[in-house]
Formats: sequence, structure tokens, C-alpha cells
Amino acid sequence: MTEPAVRIALVPHCSLTPAGAWTFFLATCGVSFGVAALLTLRGFWPVLVFAALEMLLLGWALYASMQRRHRVETIEITENSVAIDTCVHGAVVHTEFPRHWAQVRLRGDVSPLLPARLLIESGGRRCEIGSFLTEQERQRLAARLAPLIGAMAASPPLDTVHNRG
Amino acid sequence: MATHAHTDAVHDDHDHKPHGWRRWVFSTNHKDIGTMYLVFACTMFFVGGTMALIIRAELFEPGLQFVDPQFFNSMTAMHALVMIFGAIMPAWVGLANWLIPMQIGAPDMALPRLNNLSFWILPFAFMLLLGTLFVPGGAPAGGWTMYPPLALQAGDSFPMMIFAIHLMGASSILGAINVVVTVMNMRAPGMNLLKMPLFVWTWLITAYLLVAVMPVLAGAVTMLLTDHYFGTSFFAASGGGDPVMFQHIFWFFGHPEVYIMILPAFGVVSEIIPTFSRKPLFGYESMVYATAAIGFLSFIVWAHHMFTVGMPLAGQLFFMLATMLISVPTGVKIFNWCATMTRGSLTFEPPMLFALAFLFLFTIGGFSGLMLAIVPADFQYQDSYFVVAHFHYVLVPGSLFAIVGAVYYWLPKWVGRMYDQKLAKVHFWLSAIFVNVLFFPQHFLGLAGMPRRIPDYATQFADWNMVSSIGAFGFGFSQLLLPYIIIKCVKSGAPAPARAWDSAHGLEWELPSPAPFHSWETPPSAAVIARGAEH
Repeated sequence: MTEPAVRIALVPHCSLTPAGAWTFFLATCGVSFGVAALLTLRGFWPVLVFAALEMLLLGWALYASMQRRHRVETIEITENSVAIDTCVHGAVVHTEFPRHWAQVRLRGDVSPLLPARLLIESGGRRCEIGSFLTEQERQRLAARLAPLIGAMAASPPLDTVHNRG
Repeated sequence: MATHAHTDAVHDDHDHKPHGWRRWVFSTNHKDIGTMYLVFACTMFFVGGTMALIIRAELFEPGLQFVDPQFFNSMTAMHALVMIFGAIMPAWVGLANWLIPMQIGAPDMALPRLNNLSFWILPFAFMLLLGTLFVPGGAPAGGWTMYPPLALQAGDSFPMMIFAIHLMGASSILGAINVVVTVMNMRAPGMNLLKMPLFVWTWLITAYLLVAVMPVLAGAVTMLLTDHYFGTSFFAASGGGDPVMFQHIFWFFGHPEVYIMILPAFGVVSEIIPTFSRKPLFGYESMVYATAAIGFLSFIVWAHHMFTVGMPLAGQLFFMLATMLISVPTGVKIFNWCATMTRGSLTFEPPMLFALAFLFLFTIGGFSGLMLAIVPADFQYQDSYFVVAHFHYVLVPGSLFAIVGAVYYWLPKWVGRMYDQKLAKVHFWLSAIFVNVLFFPQHFLGLAGMPRRIPDYATQFADWNMVSSIGAFGFGFSQLLLPYIIIKCVKSGAPAPARAWDSAHGLEWELPSPAPFHSWETPPSAAVIARGAEH
């Protein structure tokens, strides 16, 4: 196996542990539902509805943010291939494309309200990478990968691409 | 994102930013959204300020001069709603957006699209609220507190106001959740909680307060709506409801809301004073604990806003003593700021001037707050101009001065240019003098017995009202200097270095000026964090 010329690992950073997230969430729920329960007992039940909605939103926000920690994406680029290993919860999905017939596409044209999708495509197959990144990070990654992978049916020499930087 | 490229040395254009209107409408960049919040807040500040000037013009002398009493009452209610929900709170959220990711070494907020949504709700909320000025019956005129049954007597403006408040609340909740998740989960490796700048700490506690109290406000105004349109009797005495409970519920939200507006100001002042004293902040950890203590106490003092509705003696004593207790952690903060300045190499650039004015004038607001906490005294002061003077000292030279100080402190970092400091000092002195001319006489008016929210008054109050109105116009017009200074800075200011103030600490000062569109894509190193965390 040839040594990859370029290896990029995408690791979302999380400063919160799952235990910390649960503690924080439960403590917040305790305060919010505690107040709402007291008011509900006095007959002011609409507060409970809004408290529940808000805690749902907070829970979703924490969950969405914590999901980041379970994902590692490794992109290895050699002269001949582009290999992507996506590791989610320990399960690795390996996808490999011939570099000559691969291209990078940043699809942001679906809707300005939806996040753009960064895809590596070849021969009708595609693999999405960096879905957990912010829009700006994704654009930067796309700009970085494009010269390394090259356009369809083009294989720019990797050492030239390196030296250009 | 942590991107590790072992052999990749490709550089590309670092400034991938969208252009034109899409950059702003679809923005998910924390700096752009922060800028939009600040511009929105500034606009609303002048809208709310114009309402204040209408009030003060009417009160310049006894009698009815310019507006009818109904419109006057609308102005008092709308001025409060616009200033609280449109100016002060969005300004703090704007500063949070600009600064928190840079200060904790994160590339952006945790949920950037939610961030976009939380901003874009606001203009619609305020179109709705300001739209009430043009509907039959006029804008809400029952005060920002919306006490029933008075609030229920409003015309077509009532459901519009309720819906606008729901939207503002939704915006605040989305913003607060984003701040909480960002601070908890997006800190750079090595940036533990007790290394965070105090602005981040105060905002974390503020966001927690917002999360805790906003459902209460949403529930309260929804119950008002159902009482009005769906025949419920939550607060209608005729149906067995309790209108006083609305006051309890409202102030359970309303008092933490005051701290939501002032805690980030503590954070800003804790950043500015050490920089211009050229000393680390005295008692960093005690500042954190004091902020948390103030946050906690804010939940158990709400009834001091309504001592006169009648409550058991034990309740009066509890709320009086709990309110007085707040002066302990606040005193810790004042002491620490003074101790930071002691034997420091002080210089008096515009941010420091605003921070010092905050220190003196907010303390005056704090003292009058202590007077109001004393139940027998409060029976005399309730609903008088003394109360108006008290909360304006807390919110104008308190919150507003801190916001202006923050703008003058971080503006070079935002735009990469230095502003006209001489003009900014003129702005400060005009503001500091006129704010006292405006609000200090209101203490005398209140003590002499002038009630608040009246368009006309007895001739005995004429002199101090005239002085106060002169102060209002002086203060209002002097604020036009702020946008002028900012525009002048953006257009022709001298280039600012990365560390615009020689002894500024914090991760944001490790970035170039202006801060790049994408900052901390690669998390800062431990050495950089350690340098930034020298509080």
C-alpha cells in the first residue's frame, strides 16, 4: 500500500462531556420545570407548555452539538486514489474513488436556507464529507481539496499542488 | 473543526465570504450576525430615544403642549419595550456574537443557522410592535408591564403586542440556547471554565437566566391573550381569576430580566478596567461566584416591585432582606474593580472613561435600589419619579454606558481601524454630564411626590422637570456622535494593530485586526490560551 501523500482528519471539537451535558440539561430542566410546576399547581398551566417547548429545544441543541463528538472523517489522497473513512460510533465506512476520475463539488444550490453539501464524486457514486462543519469551514475545506483532487479526468501532480502553497 | 493535515501545506484564499445582500440575509457567520444585531440595536436605540424625547418635550413644562394623554401613555409603554427588547438586549446579543467565539477560541457559534434565525425574527417582531402606532386605538398604553385589567382594554394593538413579545422571546431563547451550547461545548482545548474571560462568564449566566424565565413571560402573555379572546379567567377577577398573580408572574420574569441587561455589563467592565489599569483583574474567581450569586438571587426578589399590592408581613420581610442581600455580591464586584485600579498605571481612554462612569453611576442606581428595597420607604416611593430615576441610573449609565464602552474597546478589533479618541472623549463627557442632568433631578421629583406616567403635573414640579428635559435633549443629541465616530472610523481611521490596547488580554487580541472573517479554524495553542487567560 502506498503512503498517502495527503491525509486530512476532520474531528469536531467538543469541550463538553456527555455526563456534563446531561448534568447541565437536567439541572436546567429542574429549574425550568420546577417553576412551571409551581405555577401549574396554581392553575397557570400555559407556563408548563412553554417550559416544555423550551427544554425540548435546549435538549435538541445540546444533542445536535454533542453528536459532533462521535464522528471522525479521514480523507487520504494518493497519486491514484481518494479514500474516505467515516467513523461514526466506532463503525468505519470506507469509500474509495480513483483520483483521476474524481472531483470535489460543493452543492449549495438547493436552497440558501439549507446547508451546502460537500461531495466527492466519481462514476455516479458520491460521498459527503464535513457535514458537521460550519458553512465557512466547509467552503474552506472544499477550496483546499479541489486542487488536491483536481477536476474530473485530471490528476494534477500532488507534489506540484503542495509546492504551490 | 480540528483539521490535522500532516503533509498538506496548501494555502488558499482565507476570505471566503459571500457578497451582496446574501451575505447578510443568509449569514451564518457570528461576526456578520453580531454586526447586524448591533446595527439593529443602534437603530432601535434612536427610535426609543425619539419616544423618550417626545415624553420629555411634553413634560418640559406643566400643561398639555404637544401630545394627547393617550399618545403620551403609548410613548411611555413603547419607549420601554423598544429600549429593553430592541436596543439593550439585542446590543448584548450582538456583542456576544462578536466576542464569545473569539474569546473561547471557537470558529463560530455552535448552531449558526439558529443564530441567523434568532436575529431575523427581531425585525419582524419590531415591525409588528411599531405597527401598533398606526392601528385603531393606538399603540399599547398600559405600560410595558401589561398589567391586567388595564392592558386588556387596549384596542387592536393588543394581539399585535402579544405576538411581538412572543417573537422577541423566541429570538431571545434561540440566542440564549446558542450561547449556552457554544460556551459549554465549543471552548478550545485547554480553555477550562475558570480560564474564560468574565464577559463570557457573565453571558453564560445571563443566558441561563434567559432560558429559565422566558417561558414564564411567554405563558403570562398567552394567558392575557386567552383571557381577552377565549373567555378564560386566569387574571380576570370577574371569572374567579387573580390579577395580582399576573404581577407576581410578570416580575418573576421581569426582575431576572433586569439582570439579563446588567450582568454582561459587569463582564465588559471587568475586561476594560484591568486593561487600562495595566493590572490583572483583582479576584477573578470571586467575580465569577458573585455573578452566579446575583443570578441566583435575582429569582427570589421579584415581589419588591409590588410591595404596595399587599402581601403578608413575612413575605415583605423576605423580599426586602433578599433584595438587600444582592448588595453583597454587587459590593464584591465594586470592591474588586476598585482594587484592580489601586496602584495601577491608569490611563483614561474612552472605554475606560465609560467604565469608570459605569462604576460611579451604576452604584448610585444601586443605592437608590437599596432605598426602594426598604418596605416602609417603598410605600412612599412606589410609582413615583424616584423609581424612574433609579432604574434609569441602572440601565443608562449602567447597561448603555457599558455597551458604548464595549464598542469603543473592541471597535479597533472589529474594523481594523482606530477611531477618533478625542471625539469619543467629547461623546463621553457630553453623555456623562447630560445623563446626570437628565436623571438626577428625577430623584427630587419623586421624593417630592410626582407620580410616574403622567403627561401633566402640578406646578411645584416645574423647575426640575425643565432641567430634566434639557438634560434629555442634550443626552439624546450627543448620542448622534456615536454612529458618526463609528462611520468615520470605518472610512478613514488609522490602521489598528492586533493588540489595539497595549495591555489587553484575551484570545481576541491574539487575532489580527480586523478579525478575519473566519477565526480560530484551527484551535489556539495552549500557549496562546495561557497568554489570553491572564485575567
